[in-house]
Amino acid sequence: MKKIPGRFVAAMALSVLAASFQLARAEETVKIGIVGPFSGPFATTGTGFRQGLEAYIAQHGTEIGGRKVQLIYRDSETGSSDPSVAKRLAQELVVSDNVALLGGFMLTPEAAAAAPVANEAKTPLLLFNAATPALLGMSPYYIRMGQNIAQPAELGATWARQLGKSRGYTATADYAPGHIVEEAFAAKFTAEGGKMVGKDRIPLKTVDFAPFAERIANANPDVLEVFITPGAPAVGFIKALAARGLTKKILIIGQGEAEDNDLHLYDDSVIGFHSIIYLSAALDNPENNALKTVLHQKFGPGASPSAFTIGAYDGLHIMYKMIESQAGKPFDGAAAIKAVIGYSWKSPRGPVTIAPNRELVQNFYVREVERKDGKLQNVVIKTFEQVQPPASAK
Amino acid sequence: MSVVAFILLYGVSYGLVLCLISVGLVVTMGLMRVINLAHGAFAAIGGYIAIGLMTHVGLPFAAAVVAAVAFVAVLSLASEKVLFVHLYGAPELDQVLMTIGVNFVVVAALTLCFGPDVYPIRLPPWLSGSVDLGFRTFEVYRIVTMAVCLVVIGLLWVAFDRTNLGARLRAAVDNRGMAQATGINVPRLFSLTFATGGGLAALGGAIGAPMLPLEPTYPFKYLVLVLVVVALSGFGNVRAVVGVSIFVGIVDTAGRFFLPDLGAFIIYVLLIVLMIWRRQGLFAARVAT
Repeated sequence: MKKIPGRFVAAMALSVLAASFQLARAEETVKIGIVGPFSGPFATTGTGFRQGLEAYIAQHGTEIGGRKVQLIYRDSETGSSDPSVAKRLAQELVVSDNVALLGGFMLTPEAAAAAPVANEAKTPLLLFNAATPALLGMSPYYIRMGQNIAQPAELGATWARQLGKSRGYTATADYAPGHIVEEAFAAKFTAEGGKMVGKDRIPLKTVDFAPFAERIANANPDVLEVFITPGAPAVGFIKALAARGLTKKILIIGQGEAEDNDLHLYDDSVIGFHSIIYLSAALDNPENNALKTVLHQKFGPGASPSAFTIGAYDGLHIMYKMIESQAGKPFDGAAAIKAVIGYSWKSPRGPVTIAPNRELVQNFYVREVERKDGKLQNVVIKTFEQVQPPASAK
Repeated sequence: MSVVAFILLYGVSYGLVLCLISVGLVVTMGLMRVINLAHGAFAAIGGYIAIGLMTHVGLPFAAAVVAAVAFVAVLSLASEKVLFVHLYGAPELDQVLMTIGVNFVVVAALTLCFGPDVYPIRLPPWLSGSVDLGFRTFEVYRIVTMAVCLVVIGLLWVAFDRTNLGARLRAAVDNRGMAQATGINVPRLFSLTFATGGGLAALGGAIGAPMLPLEPTYPFKYLVLVLVVVALSGFGNVRAVVGVSIFVGIVDTAGRFFLPDLGAFIIYVLLIVLMIWRRQGLFAARVAT
C-alpha cells in the first residue's frame, strides 16, 4: 500500500517536469500558420506566398525577440473547394498547432470565413492579398498587406482628370470587388468634374468580349476603368478592346490584368494598357533589388516579385515585428497589433506605414505596358507618393 | 445601323465557328445515337496542337491548322475504334459517364502539358488588324474565319447532299437497319463520320481560338454552347446546323450587347422556349400527325 503513493509521486514529478520542458519549449518557438492556395487553379498565388516568405527567412533567419519562428503551411484548395476550408484550417492551426499568428487567405470569402477564429483566439491575421474594404471591419486582428480595392480605382479617376479626360466608362467583372471598383471610380471621377458615360458589369463566364468593346466604343468615352480577373477573361477583353481600336484611342486603366508574369499571354495589342497598383517588379530600390537577388538565387531567374510575393514578404516582416514587441512576455495578440500600428518601414514596394485603421499608407504606381528590349513589360510612368487609405475601412 | 451591322458581323462570325465545332456532333449523334460529350475535347486538342505548332515549331498559321486537323481526324478515328465503339447501343447514362470521363482526362492532360492558364496565341501579321468595310471597320481575322467556315460548310453540304457517300450517310441516319440491309457498310461509315466530325471540331477549335480562348477547361466551357446548337438542330439534321449556329451566334451577341448583365442567360432562355415549342429542332420539318 505504501509503494503506490511513492510511484504516484514519482510519476507526478516526471509529468510536471515534462510539462515544464514543454512549456519552456513553447516559450521558445512561435508558430505561424500560413493558409494559401498551394494547389489547384490559383497555385501560382500560393507559390508567390511561399517564395516571399522563404525569401524573407533567407534574409532574416528564423530567430527574433529571443524566440524561434516556425512556419506551418496549409493548403486552402482555393478554387477547387469552398471558403469554409480556410476557416477550418485556421481553427486547426489555432487549436491543435497553437499558432500565435496567421497569414495568407487569398480571396475575400476565405478571409471573411476566418474572422470568427481570429476574433475568438485573439490571433493577429495578416491578409497577404484579399482586398475588399469591409474585411478589416470584421476583425480587429486583421491587418492588410495588400491594397484596398477602392484605392487604385480612385487614383485612376484622379489621374484621368489630371490628364483632362472628361468622359468616363467602367467595365468591371460582375462580382463584389468589381462593383466596388465601379462605384469608387464613378464617385471620384464625377466629384472631380468628369462625366460618366457608361458602365458595364461583365459576367464572370463571358467568352466573347466583342459586344462589350462595341458598347464602349459607341459610348465614346476618353477613359476606361477596367477590372477583370486575370487569365483568359483579361486576355480576351483586352484583345477585344484592341480589335475595336480602343487601346490606341482612349486611356485604359486596369489593376492586375497584365502583370509581368502574365504578359506572355498577350500579343502586342496590350501595348498602351495602363495599370495602377502598389508595386512594380521594376522598382530600383535597395530592398527590391535585394529581394530580387534572393528570389533568383532560390527559385531561378523566372521568379520575380509579384503582389503575392510582396504581400507575404511584408506580412512576415510585420509578424517578426509583433514577435519582437512581445519579447520576454507571453505572446499577446491584441498587444502585438497595437505595437505595429503606426510602424513604418522600407518595403520592396517603397516606404510603407501601417495606418490606425490597419490599412497601409503606401505608394501607388501608374504603369504602362511597353515593348522594351524586345519584350513586353510594365514600365512605371508615374508614382503617387504615400497614398492615405480610404477612411471608410475603419 | 452601325449596331445592326455589328451584331450581324460578329454574330455570324461567332456562329460560323460554333457551326464547325458542332456539326460533327450533330452528325455522329444522329448517325450513331451516341451522346459524345467529349466532342469539345477534339476542338480543344485541335486548337492546342495548331497553336503549339505555330509558336514552338514555327509553322505558318494555315499549315499548322491543316496539320492539327489531320492529326485530330486520325486521333478521333483511333479513339472511335478503341473507345467509342463500345458505346454503340449502350444505355445513355453509360455514354454520358464515359464521354464526360474522357473530358476530364483531356482537361487533366492539357493542364499537365500546357499549364492551367489560357494558351497564348499570336496571330500572324496578315491576320491581325482591321479593314475598313466602308460602313465600319472589321477585324481581318474574323473575315478570314468567316470565309474559311463558309467554304468548309459549302464543301460539307456538297458532300452530304450531292455525293453517293452523302446519300448513304443520309440513308443510315434515317434508317440504320434498312441502310445496312441494302449493303451499306454502316460501321465504316461510322468511323469515317466520326473522324470527319473530330477533324471539323479541330478546325473550329484551331481557327476559332482567338475568339474562344484555349484553356484546359475548354472541353467543358464550350460544351454548353455546342449542346445548345445540337439540341436546336435536331439529331442528324446537318442542314439545320448552319442556320441554328448563326442564329445562336447572333442572339448571343445581341443579348450581350443590349443587356450585358443578363446577356449570358438569354441564349438559355431561348433554348428552353424553343425546346418546348419545337422539340424536334428549330428547322425540323413538322411531322404530320
